[in-house]
Amino acid sequence: AESPTSVRKVVVHLRATGDAPILKQAKFKIPGTDKFAKVIDFLRRQLHRDTLFVYVNSAFSPNPDELVIDLYNILTSYFHTSKGISLVVF
Amino acid sequence: MRKAIQKRMEAKKYVWEGAIPLQIHLHESQVTTLPPPPPALILAPRIGYLPLLVPLIKPHFSSTLPPGVDTIWFEYRGLPLKWYIPTGVLFDLLCAEPERPWNITVHFRGYPGNVLIPCDGEDSVKWSFINSLKEAAYIINGNCKNVMNMSQSDQLELWHSVMNGNLEAYLRVSSKLKLATIEDEYTSLCSSKSQQGSGETDFTGQVKTGRVPVRLYVWSISEDFDDWEDLSQVDSWEKISYINRPIEIHKEGKCFTLHDAMKSLLPEFFSDESLSDSKLARVDFEDAQKIPSEDVSSNKVVEDQGQNAYEHREACCISSSAEIKLIRIQGIEPKLEIPFSWLVNNLLNPDHFLHICVCVKVPQ
Repeated sequence: AESPTSVRKVVVHLRATGDAPILKQAKFKIPGTDKFAKVIDFLRRQLHRDTLFVYVNSAFSPNPDELVIDLYNILTSYFHTSKGISLVVF
Repeated sequence: MRKAIQKRMEAKKYVWEGAIPLQIHLHESQVTTLPPPPPALILAPRIGYLPLLVPLIKPHFSSTLPPGVDTIWFEYRGLPLKWYIPTGVLFDLLCAEPERPWNITVHFRGYPGNVLIPCDGEDSVKWSFINSLKEAAYIINGNCKNVMNMSQSDQLELWHSVMNGNLEAYLRVSSKLKLATIEDEYTSLCSSKSQQGSGETDFTGQVKTGRVPVRLYVWSISEDFDDWEDLSQVDSWEKISYINRPIEIHKEGKCFTLHDAMKSLLPEFFSDESLSDSKLARVDFEDAQKIPSEDVSSNKVVEDQGQNAYEHREACCISSSAEIKLIRIQGIEPKLEIPFSWLVNNLLNPDHFLHICVCVKVPQ
């Protein structure tokens, strides 16, 4: 179990659609204090792509400076879920 | 009633007409002519974005540029400027002592891809704007269907209204989105004083308390200073914390002020007061530096994650010598007692976010 003062990690699920390739690993954890830019970078390296459009919960594409934990709180404020953030990649 | 509407719109009009005088210098590495070209003088809308000024800037310098492909970016005293942040916000944040005109440098080469995400001109800015609007809609309504279902022509008209600073056109299209205005008796009080008691109808129709999308930019300093000019300026985006956290207005009889809003966003800077009503997760930036980063490859699902995100965290690390030095919204430094609803109804950016610049002093 995580200690109360440790950095919370957020679970991120990947769903590739369209002609985006499927990732081997569709679920990963990222520290809440990381920026969304890190998620994009990670995906670009994994998918070997320069341009990537990443949408969260099929809704919007976040600002790269946004903290993952802030994003998680926004996405889960209406729907309580332990699933984490769902990403759709184009 | 028309007069009431005009009064209500007055503050919004000031915001939409607000502009930053820019003196834009071409970076010396790209000057190929003698004498070097004079700087371009441009009045940049506060609610706009720097890349949108390129059609005005480029002709000014085109005869002196070296041959090749242009990748345009802006910089202030060495700091590359993030193009998706509204111009007014950049100015409020990076110029503690407002500099008029604001001297910035334009580059046509050597795009700093390690600091700035790519920008392909107007299309990139429009995409960023629409996504911010979607996010705002998501925060307010729990979904962004209203933005996604906009007709092509409405979306275009909305975007053009932002580019052209046309408030009337913007209100016409955005009212269809039904992103609620926060109304409470204090907002009416503020506006009714200037209306001489004439009966006032809330023409927006929506009366709702709820979540307000907020983008908070926190510049932390640890030095003492007498004048803003004495401060060493921001030389890296690492010095600025970007917090994207909605504010929930609590209507419990008393007026919800800017002070209340700031307390919910940055409780550690109000350490003398009770924190027990803070329900938002606090990310302690000091903690983040102490803990080594771990692999992004673990199969263990954190099951209580949902609950943890809402747990109240104690502000145990910040001493009482931490204080807020400055709060700026649309270039205004409001008093903390101002009703927060007034700020929401008048100082929002077109992306429907309230962008707040804060300078805080933290112990070393």
